[in-house]
Amino acid sequence: MTEASPKRPNFLTRHGMLIFVVTLAILFPFIVGLIEGQSPATVIASEGGNSKFLMGLAVEVFILALFALSYDVLLGITGLLSFGHQMFFAVGAYGSGIMLKSLGWSLPLTLLGILVLAILQALLFGVVLPRVHGITFALVTLGIASMFWIVIQSPDVGDWTGGDVGLQGASSLVPAWINTNDHRFRFYLMALAVLVLFYLVFRRIVSSPTGAVMVANRENQDRALMLGYNTLWFKMFALVITSIAAAIAGMLWTMHQPIVTPTVAGLGWVVAALLMVLMGGIGTLTGAIIGAAMFRLLSFYLERWFGGGASLMLGVTYVLLVLFLPYGIVGTWRLKQARVSEGRKRLVALVTGKGG
Amino acid sequence: MTEALLRTENLTKEVGALVAVDDVSISIGAGTLHSVIGPNGAGKTTLLNLLSGTLKPTEGRVYYKGDDITRVPVYDMIHRGIGRSFQITNIFPFLTVFENVRLAAQATGSDNFKFWRTAASFPDYTTRARSVLEDVGLADESLIPANALPHGDQRKLELAMILAPNPDVLLLDEPTAGMASEQVPELVDLISRIQAGTDKTVVLVEHNMNVVMNASDRITVMNHGSVLAEGSPSDIAANEVVQEAYLGSLYEEGPE
Ligand SMILES: Nc1ncnc2c1ncn2[C@@H]1O[C@H](COP(=O)(O)OP(=O)(O)OP(=O)(O)O)[C@@H](O)[C@H]1O
Ligand SMILES: [Mg+2]
Repeated sequence: MTEASPKRPNFLTRHGMLIFVVTLAILFPFIVGLIEGQSPATVIASEGGNSKFLMGLAVEVFILALFALSYDVLLGITGLLSFGHQMFFAVGAYGSGIMLKSLGWSLPLTLLGILVLAILQALLFGVVLPRVHGITFALVTLGIASMFWIVIQSPDVGDWTGGDVGLQGASSLVPAWINTNDHRFRFYLMALAVLVLFYLVFRRIVSSPTGAVMVANRENQDRALMLGYNTLWFKMFALVITSIAAAIAGMLWTMHQPIVTPTVAGLGWVVAALLMVLMGGIGTLTGAIIGAAMFRLLSFYLERWFGGGASLMLGVTYVLLVLFLPYGIVGTWRLKQARVSEGRKRLVALVTGKGG
Repeated sequence: MTEALLRTENLTKEVGALVAVDDVSISIGAGTLHSVIGPNGAGKTTLLNLLSGTLKPTEGRVYYKGDDITRVPVYDMIHRGIGRSFQITNIFPFLTVFENVRLAAQATGSDNFKFWRTAASFPDYTTRARSVLEDVGLADESLIPANALPHGDQRKLELAMILAPNPDVLLLDEPTAGMASEQVPELVDLISRIQAGTDKTVVLVEHNMNVVMNASDRITVMNHGSVLAEGSPSDIAANEVVQEAYLGSLYEEGPE
């Protein structure tokens, strides 16, 4: 938060980077198509080839980015360490799969159902908030999420969840006009739009009075309480908004994948979110998106090039990144920027003889 | 004495085997500057913690404007008009000086859940923060992270954070603690200015006897958790028990 400066930079300066990246993302399939010798019309029709495949990979990046973004708001902004965030995602994934497949709901109704479930599960997590703090909250949330992980694999609910095999075929029930197989380019644009929408909403929330208190809670909860903030409601708010984002990410996952496996409900899934956030830069929002892209692309290409040795190399990459860029990519970049401007200030002071 | 605004009844806080505050019944008059003094470990900070809701007493009650506020949660205190500053600087270290004070100002407003607007678009809090920073002399340091301030300036920030919401009662725990001696008069002056001419009530815990003797309307002396004496500065100066127990040597350095 800075003081409102008298001259507000214009729209393009403020959003230039975002507009650039989004434009690039929209053009990306066509660029791939061009290299492959596909006409733009073929790309839009999503008939196949490398552009369709890479769009599919990019959709996974968008979904993981949305998941990581929600985790960053919870951990990096609000300071709540949850090891149950995978359940927020998995409830969206399994919930939408069951609604589409077993209940035969339409897509809009499923979306509505997911929103309701997202709020309910956030409240469930919120129930323990006043009682446990710090690492205990992490363990309790892990406990709740593990229970969910066990339940969805139980044979008793196998008809609905597919047990330990996973929930199959829900994506083919998505209406053709937005189906990831029939109209990959549309699905790609839709997933991109959802990610950008949540990014903008979260960015606004972080700079709002509410976000200011979430940050205050992260920095010094006791002081925030003493200032007169009942931090419980702000943490509750953070749980609700991040649960909605993660559940929508899960729903997109179900719409995109031929099969949803219990992996998305396991501890590994929240650890992945944590890694993405750490790589990109905790508490930076943009970092979560960059981290998700690195995470997905690294694991994809390392697997393609090195096969079995990929996970080891992935592990080494994380360790190196965290060792050398402890604030993540965006975090380190911002620190550098700050240092540069500090240096510039000192230089100005030296020249003008003011301050210093 | 004026009517009691803040009052304790047999207030007791046991910490393990130790009785940090022992059967304390005091009355703080509206609009007065009431100092609490006593040697290290006398229980002054613990008493402020009980008054501000940070700690709940083992026994006894706290009344404010006639209401029992003993069990009121700490985050409600400022909304009732009771603010508190800390002996050990308690700020948001990685936020800017400005944001620290802006947060303090925002707390008593009703915009905390307007998540669709930017915090910068609420001039009530930004101008309030700016004017308080001006008052304590930190205007030029606004955009520095709070932990980059030198200690003396952090004490000023601590004070700014209690001033920003403009409470009726200010519980100040050694506002000059650890400050360079040449900075002390400036801060004391500021506190006196805030209190004089307004109807604010100040409870001041302070070790500096000059400050206490000059600024206070009333003084409570604590020792080993209990009240040793209470009275006007001249009563306390003349009190033999106090002199024997604690004050004597200190007061001789004082004015008058
Ligand atoms: N949380 C705690 N745990 C253990 N002992 C405590 C705790 N809080 C206070 N005490 C003890 O209670 C007594 C009173 O402490 P308190 O901090 O209130 O004294 P004080 O008058 O503010 O002293 P000072 O002038 O040093 O600030 C001390 O003996 C202290 O060691
Ligand atoms: Mg103390």
